[in-house]
Amino acid sequence: MRTYVEFAKKAIQNNIVYRVNSYAGIINTIVMIFVNIAIWRAIYEEEATLEGLQFRLVITYIVLSFLMQSIFVMDEYLIQYKVRSGSISTDMLRPISFLGYVFSHNIGVMLFRIIIQLTPALLVAIFFVKILPPFSPLIALYFAISVLLGYLVLYSINLVVWLTSFWYFEIFSFITIKDAAVMILSGALLPIWFMPNWLYNLVQITPFGSIYSVPISIYLGQLPETEIYTKILLQIIWIIVFQVIGRLLWHCAQKRIVVQGG
Amino acid sequence: MDKQKMFTIPELTKLFFVHTKLIAKTTLEYKFHRSLISVAIFCREMISIVTMYLIMIRFVSIKGWDMNEMLFLYSFLFISYSLFVFVFAGIRDFDAMVQSGELDRFLLRPLGLIYQVIASRADFSATLGHGAVGVILLIKTAGSVGIEWNLRNTLAYIAVILGGTVIQASLFMVSSCFSFWTVNTTNLRNLVFFNARRFAAYPLSFYPGVIRYLLIFLLPFAFVNYFPSLYFLNKPEVSILGGWIPYLTPVVGAVLFFLVYTFWKFGLKHYSSVGN
Repeated sequence: MRTYVEFAKKAIQNNIVYRVNSYAGIINTIVMIFVNIAIWRAIYEEEATLEGLQFRLVITYIVLSFLMQSIFVMDEYLIQYKVRSGSISTDMLRPISFLGYVFSHNIGVMLFRIIIQLTPALLVAIFFVKILPPFSPLIALYFAISVLLGYLVLYSINLVVWLTSFWYFEIFSFITIKDAAVMILSGALLPIWFMPNWLYNLVQITPFGSIYSVPISIYLGQLPETEIYTKILLQIIWIIVFQVIGRLLWHCAQKRIVVQGG
Repeated sequence: MDKQKMFTIPELTKLFFVHTKLIAKTTLEYKFHRSLISVAIFCREMISIVTMYLIMIRFVSIKGWDMNEMLFLYSFLFISYSLFVFVFAGIRDFDAMVQSGELDRFLLRPLGLIYQVIASRADFSATLGHGAVGVILLIKTAGSVGIEWNLRNTLAYIAVILGGTVIQASLFMVSSCFSFWTVNTTNLRNLVFFNARRFAAYPLSFYPGVIRYLLIFLLPFAFVNYFPSLYFLNKPEVSILGGWIPYLTPVVGAVLFFLVYTFWKFGLKHYSSVGN
């Protein structure tokens, strides 16, 4: 366990060295929030309910989504880099689990993001945007659990995509297409209650909905308590499904790997 | 440098296409890989289109803009960006050229430097990815937003696309100037450019004054899509300048390019290679 904590720490330190990139991330997040608020403001000005609950619900939804996106950032090219550079061979010789290493590295990346990016963005969200508080303290707890599970769902899906590095030389395209699917089908872009029925249903039945729309719906108090439990259970099921697929792929990959040079 | 043999425009054009053909050949070496990148870029760019589409089917019209008008406004950004990465990819990748020493090779050749920088690159994957989005949007909207596609409007449209391409090229070129002093501004440039572009996706009238002025005077994206759209869509705001609006875009593009090019030449004078 200690080893993996060290890996996470190492990832944080690496990120601190290249922190300029994350300043860019903060600005991106804030601009995205700003653009979206301008659009929703324009929409609600016509319906003259600008200060109304509807408007604040929408804004809270959008801002929460962007805040979550800003910390759900992972080192997408780690495995590809390891495979291409051949350093995967030394990793496999070590008495540690490679997948455990990848996971702890990404946890480190997330912790760094929470410190450097979430904090300023959250301050902006609370003081300038005035997002709604969580529905109740209990709901806040459920929300926190659900966010964590949402992260794990995204991580598990990502892991499956990353592991294709063992079969395909350059996975930029896979990652980008996956990202597009996640953005559109997870309800990250606009509140799910504005979606047409077919898309709404798609968000419910695909694993992507478990990433953003479930935690946010919980936060806004839109799910009755029993449904919160089923949704959280669903998140856990998706994590298990993709972890199993990931393990299987990793199993095949280990047999397949041929490293150049010696 | 100064006693260069002058080339005629047809010669230069021919040379440009020789370059382009060579780049196409390298690109086609990896057909599957490259086409997959195009598909990926297409999907990535569709994210924001889908968002706009979903909002518009729910709300029908925002501040007097309906779905097709919004998508028409957006299409300018994709078509001109697609043309930009086809023609001016060298300006986008200029930092890398300086760092790898490729620029020093260009300096030894008897041809204009900026010409070589521009001719040496073309990003086909991005051209196709962005271009596909732009063309789909244009085809979907061109017939339904009430534009009469007569000679006058078609010429104006072409002028706007070309002008928009040059405006974006100039914005990218500003950052390339700094690489002469080995200051790498690629990240900062991408940050500024793509965030400005994010704003430009929606009508300027949605934003508070500061953002509007920024997009008109500092990063003139307003001329790439907003002002031309006002003209083509016959919005009430156009009445002051009327029919001349679309031609503002190439004028702004030319002025901007001239200013940046002057700065670029100034930077070149101070350039002293990366190697030794």
